[in-house]
Amino acid sequence: MSDLKIEGYEFKPGYRGMAEDTGSAQTMFKGVHWGKAMMWIFLLSDTFIFSCFLISYMKGRGSTPVEWPNPSEVFALHVGGVDVPLLLIAIMTFVLITSSGTMALAVKYGYEKNRKMCGWLILATAIGGLTFVGMQAFEWSKLIHEGVRPWENPFGAKQFGSFFFMITGFHGTHVSIGVIFLFIYAYKTFAGHYDERKRGWFTSIKGDYVEIEILGLYWHFVDLVWVFIFAFFYLW
Amino acid sequence: MHPGIIFFLVILGSVLFHIFTPWYWTDVASNWGSMDDTITLTFWVGGGVFIAVCLFMVYCVFKFSYKEGRRAEYKPEDKKLEKILTWATTLGVAALLAPGLIVWNQYINVPKNAIHIDVMAWQWGWQYRLPGEDGKLGSTKIKNINDNNPFGIILEDPNGKDDILIQSDVIHLKNNRPVKILLRSVDVLHNWYVPQFRAKMDAVPGVVTYYWFEPNKAGEYEVLCAEYCGVGHYGMRGRVFVKNEEDYKNWLQEQETFSDLIAKQEEIEFSKTKLAKK
Amino acid sequence: MSEDNNDKIIIQSQSSESISGGGSGSTTDIDYVRPAEVGDQDLYHGHSFITKWVFCQDAKVIGVQYFLLATFTGIIGLILSWLMRLQLGFPELASFMTAEHYYQFVTMHGMIMVVYFLTALFLGGFGNFLIPLMVGARDMVFPYLNMVSFWMFFIAVVVLLASFFVPGGPTGSGWTLYPPQSILEGTPGSGMGILLMCLSLILFVAGFTMGGLNYLITVLQARTRGMTLMRMPLTVWGIFTATVLAMLAFPALLVGSLMMSLDKILGTSFFMPTILQAGEVLEYGGGSPILFQHLFWFFGHPEVYIVALPAFGIISDLISVHSRKNIFGYRMMVWAIVVIGGLSFFVWAHHMYVSGMNPWFGFFFATTTLIIAVPTAMKVYNWVLTLWRGNIRLNTVMLWCLGFIVTFVNGGITGIFLGNVTVDVPLSDTYFVIAHFHMVMGIAPLMVIMGAVYHWFPLVTGRMLSEKLGKWHFWFTFLGAYSIYFPMHYLGFIGVPRRYFEMYDSPYVTSAVGMNEFISTAAFIVGAAQFILIYNIIKSLKTGKPAGKNPWQANSLEWLTPSVPPEHGNWGDRLPVVHRWPYDYSVPGAKEDFITQTTPPSDVTNSEVEKT
Repeated sequence: MSDLKIEGYEFKPGYRGMAEDTGSAQTMFKGVHWGKAMMWIFLLSDTFIFSCFLISYMKGRGSTPVEWPNPSEVFALHVGGVDVPLLLIAIMTFVLITSSGTMALAVKYGYEKNRKMCGWLILATAIGGLTFVGMQAFEWSKLIHEGVRPWENPFGAKQFGSFFFMITGFHGTHVSIGVIFLFIYAYKTFAGHYDERKRGWFTSIKGDYVEIEILGLYWHFVDLVWVFIFAFFYLW
Repeated sequence: MHPGIIFFLVILGSVLFHIFTPWYWTDVASNWGSMDDTITLTFWVGGGVFIAVCLFMVYCVFKFSYKEGRRAEYKPEDKKLEKILTWATTLGVAALLAPGLIVWNQYINVPKNAIHIDVMAWQWGWQYRLPGEDGKLGSTKIKNINDNNPFGIILEDPNGKDDILIQSDVIHLKNNRPVKILLRSVDVLHNWYVPQFRAKMDAVPGVVTYYWFEPNKAGEYEVLCAEYCGVGHYGMRGRVFVKNEEDYKNWLQEQETFSDLIAKQEEIEFSKTKLAKK
Repeated sequence: MSEDNNDKIIIQSQSSESISGGGSGSTTDIDYVRPAEVGDQDLYHGHSFITKWVFCQDAKVIGVQYFLLATFTGIIGLILSWLMRLQLGFPELASFMTAEHYYQFVTMHGMIMVVYFLTALFLGGFGNFLIPLMVGARDMVFPYLNMVSFWMFFIAVVVLLASFFVPGGPTGSGWTLYPPQSILEGTPGSGMGILLMCLSLILFVAGFTMGGLNYLITVLQARTRGMTLMRMPLTVWGIFTATVLAMLAFPALLVGSLMMSLDKILGTSFFMPTILQAGEVLEYGGGSPILFQHLFWFFGHPEVYIVALPAFGIISDLISVHSRKNIFGYRMMVWAIVVIGGLSFFVWAHHMYVSGMNPWFGFFFATTTLIIAVPTAMKVYNWVLTLWRGNIRLNTVMLWCLGFIVTFVNGGITGIFLGNVTVDVPLSDTYFVIAHFHMVMGIAPLMVIMGAVYHWFPLVTGRMLSEKLGKWHFWFTFLGAYSIYFPMHYLGFIGVPRRYFEMYDSPYVTSAVGMNEFISTAAFIVGAAQFILIYNIIKSLKTGKPAGKNPWQANSLEWLTPSVPPEHGNWGDRLPVVHRWPYDYSVPGAKEDFITQTTPPSDVTNSEVEKT
């Protein structure tokens, strides 16, 4: 942000500058769009939701007297006569992380006002997200087929099923909401709403490419959370 | 009337209420007189602060009430005064905290000679189990509970055989002997609370919680459930008798052990089959 | 990432007119305030009844909507408390009440008052109305989201009240909703009741998050020129910090409610261990009831401060305005609010000393809890020191302030009893707890709300409330409420447990019968006295004295709008420019005993100008 200029305001480097920004009038985060600041704070709040889920999961796993199932067996995929542990999940994670990359590129092309590239990359991101949700649906149905339910689990502690479905379900909902918004934003990009600064359908706020960056923040966050869920459920 | 007078009367009334109140705590009947001491200490320090702050406020209201043309003092800060107040408060708070932590340390460390009592709570009642000759309680499992095994004792556990079972909400305790209350619940949260003993702890299904006290005054006391446990919460009472050594022994001998219960049931079973044969 | 593309934005001055602002026309150096960083906010103006008053995007209207709906639920909570007191004081008159009813009323009263009344009123009501005005913004930064926030709250209230009409009635598990009992037979409303409660809470949290994002970003990013953080009125500081707490604490409630709903609907066992009920072992097994208590109190304790911090802020402003004196130790007050807010996340398990959690936690949580007493005490000292050498107007607003100080100090000190782990053991789950929290987070915040109503009513409606009725209202409420809760502590000393439908003939409480009758009578009177306020409001709306501009001669921005009551957009065609903090009362050498925030330094040449 070194090139940001504000009339009458002098930026200082380091902690001193941070303190000065905090103490200054008008804005605390200089040059940060309202929506972007809002998204950051929303994500902080959302972090607490996922932390509560994962801490509950740890506590639940610790306090149940029945043995916890072995993840590399439960989540194994039977391919060509061999059980490959964590195969599906590796692909899912790969797809989701890749979609984060396309999202970042979409933001870049957005600021360059490259409407076409930006739109296609958002669409690619949405399709990545959709693939992820699809594979998750496949995994859910596989587990359900094997008899795992939120209230019971043939492989061990019943809390395994409860926490797995609840937390991945909650995360999957986040991804799905993200996908819906990605499609909407892709449409708006192609239709040129951001170039023309057309007002939003409900909010009547003028469109701006910064909205793509805000959605990008959300998308990266959802990916990051997935990494934690992955570590807690599949590697522990 | 000047509002300051009414505020003053409120403070005065509070003090008088405290002096003349007929409602005050019951005589302590356990070793936890130290808890009363911590309450008393907090009461005097806190009460003093309350009266001081309120009287200061009342004084200000009298002295500085609005006069046309007068100017208030302009003084945004007084670093020195603020520093003094901060440190004085910190000291006061630390002085209240320290005794609390010391007594808590005693509360969670149970003396070695304490008699263990299994207090089993359900909606809505209590029953008790004391260790037999071996001084150990047998382990239990909720799924084992049935008419023949009301405490769910694991049959294979040799410690459980001589356990003394008290299927009643009346329990006797030996005077001047510490007891460790081991709380468990088969359904929801409960709390075994005798006001005169001061101590309490929730019974939580799925885990065993504990606390201890040493009754030091013979007599009869009422047990109250102190954690909301459903619609029958207010009726979940019991009784405790604190007895001297001899009376306690006599009472203990009248109680049935787990092996007695098993034997009795086998007898019934036996006579039943006999009857059936006839 | 791709941030480099964002770097070349140059933010330009929004206003080309005189940079000195304040309308003095002077362009001397001392009046210089740097130009605006962001362009003027683009507002959606309502054009029909529906868009102006129902689905309205004006924060002031939304604030009033929040205020009215919260007051409505609060009155329901009040009526429930009457019914409870009838049962406790005069059980022979309450023969229509069963234990089930009693517990349902206890639960709904608690939840309504804490969440749907106090939280919604302080943050939704006062927050929406005051934040944009006090920081000099045209509106909240996301007006549409703000509107949705209110309507989510509306739906949450409807769902909550709907639970009165479902089979089994509303949940009767206590406002803490502890499992396992909350979802098991044996507790009233363990079917639909608890589910609707969880659903309503989830909706409330979702709605609140939308509002909360607005309050935070408005304070952080939409202040007017010259408005630094350290020039904000303490009201804004209180509401801001409380909103931060809410954004971080409500997630725990959301997760807890969701998991409990799943335990009920799907039969998962998050909070449910093996349970034997009525001779049968239930399907549940392996869960931890204490986990819910941790989640609940991780929300529940910050929740106390979500209510208290706005009250702290508002009361500071009211005391300052009506003592004609700056708030003593402003910086200390700000830091105390922030420190209390931060610490409030590390004290939650002091509600759980006797819950059966690991007893070693007791040491940690007792220490943190008592540390929080220090900044709180500093705030109390600063309030009374503000009165010292002031010029105190003993009007209705000031009476509420004084009432607040008495009740808050009383309730704060009993908090030290309950926060200190061993002192808590004999007192927990007794009437002492009831008395404590009603005094500190029931009556004390209520005093603030009332004071704030009398103070800001002229701003909202343009008319003054009747002082005479206001004083009657105050004395009935203050003396009545104090005589309800002060003696109640002594019931706790005896050891009377809370949440008892009746005591039968327990030897501890025969002496308490008289006191219960007295408390109940006082409760009926205090409740009824609130209708004085309603009458006062209705009467003053029509016949009240016109307030004119700035009737209290206050400094802060909300009184300096071009029209009173302020219109949509608040500031006419020019945003205000701030030159000083809002507490320049009785500045030596100044013409009058107040200097508004927009007065440029060149207008007050003779006086010493403060530094912040």
